[in-house]
Amino acid sequence: MIAIYVCAGIAVYAAIRVILERNTMRKLPFLNVVSFAVTGIIALLLPHPITIAAAAAYFVGSTLESNAIASAWSGGIKK
Amino acid sequence: MIACSALVLIGMAAAILHRDPFDKLISLSILIAGIFPFIVDRGYLDVAAATALIAPLSTIFILMVCRRENT
Repeated sequence: MIAIYVCAGIAVYAAIRVILERNTMRKLPFLNVVSFAVTGIIALLLPHPITIAAAAAYFVGSTLESNAIASAWSGGIKK
Repeated sequence: MIACSALVLIGMAAAILHRDPFDKLISLSILIAGIFPFIVDRGYLDVAAATALIAPLSTIFILMVCRRENT
């Protein structure tokens, strides 16, 4: 039961760091930290076999999302 | 659950206060991350998996709109 509290604390701390950071490129690692912590919360919250599938789907989706934001912000290949 | 509510509220306040569209998208993804434990807590695991795969698609479609002009 202590592990889910640790994950929740990490999620809130990383969200506050995302708010307080000024540079957009420095926000993105903390966004990844929020995604990992929420994946941990989802996996620990409910003792059911499909929970790990939902956690894996959220992990894939959030990583895809933050990488898409990062690649669009950096502007792609310079020609 | 209180931490996830805090996550949703932090994402909402940041999405309102930021001006840059990429900062708004980052805050929006924090908000979506805060929603998921509420869906899983009720036991709707299939809904959570489907939403986790559909929500990044909407983010990618918004990214097509707000692409940087000075590349």
